[in-house]
Amino acid sequence: MPDDMIKQDACPPPRARFVRGLRLGLPIFLGYAPIGAAFGIVARGLGFSPLQAAICSGTALAGAGQLIALQLLGAGAGAAAVVLTTAIVNLRYILFGAALSQHVTRMSLKQQAFLAFTLTDETFAVNIDDGRRGRADFASMAGVGVIAWSGWVAGTAAGALLAGVIGDPTRFGVQFAMPAMFTALLVAQAEDRTHVVTAIIAAVFAAALMIALPDPWYLIVAPVLAATVATAVTR
Amino acid sequence: MSATTIWAVIAGMALVNFLIRFPSLAVLSRTALPAWAKRWLSYIPVSAMATLVVGGVVRPDGRWLPPFANPYLWASIITGVVYWRFRSFLGATVVGVICFLAFAALLG
Repeated sequence: MPDDMIKQDACPPPRARFVRGLRLGLPIFLGYAPIGAAFGIVARGLGFSPLQAAICSGTALAGAGQLIALQLLGAGAGAAAVVLTTAIVNLRYILFGAALSQHVTRMSLKQQAFLAFTLTDETFAVNIDDGRRGRADFASMAGVGVIAWSGWVAGTAAGALLAGVIGDPTRFGVQFAMPAMFTALLVAQAEDRTHVVTAIIAAVFAAALMIALPDPWYLIVAPVLAATVATAVTR
Repeated sequence: MSATTIWAVIAGMALVNFLIRFPSLAVLSRTALPAWAKRWLSYIPVSAMATLVVGGVVRPDGRWLPPFANPYLWASIITGVVYWRFRSFLGATVVGVICFLAFAALLG
């Protein structure tokens, strides 16, 4: 990460590497819990039971995709349309899986399946950053995934159970938790001048494509175009 | 909303989200990629994060906000500076949310 205070011994046991992953992912837990609570509150309002809300978060771990699903359900969309829209919103995970694949080449299929299950924008960025420093392995990545999953599910359960007590979660600034995490993770990824320029190119493509394309296609097309330009220029 | 619809959404989202995440990771980790493809993939994280930041900051909740009245934008800039200076993911996120609330109150 992120946090330079977290060091790794020469050859720590898997348990220590897992715990290190939990520590790396703790900020994700703290960021996900309030957003998960917001999902839980809205889900309760639409007729989900607390158990259904928690199961939804625990099995999909789809962040913005879940919130959009609720929006569509609230507007009267059918189950198939909701699932399809969620899939389109989350198509970027195909790219993330492809990028992460180069850091998991020595893992078993089961281990990869677990990491794929816990793959989110934030776990992806933290694990990629850790992998680039030569520190990431299955145990540490699993730790990051478990703590992120826990934050999302615990937050959802708390929000669904305490919906009446919490009230409007936006008064706590919950709506900025995701952009704040994305911003910190972006700076973490901008390791040299080439990456900074690539980020600027992606930002320009994103802004243009948000106007030119229907949502949420800019999320997939902008990174693809920016990475292609960067690859061509640095050849 | 019927319980059947809710359970169908839960099951469908669980299945679809895993099927989106898993194949590219599993297949490409077992494939020998040319150097240019590896380089291309190495630019995906920074490109994707920049895209997510732009989407979440300049058009939050689907509404375009003018730069000088956009608490997301100013709070995001401070979040980035704090992370760049202190390299603390948690610290930057917390400072960012506090700044967002302050900017939201100031800018209305």
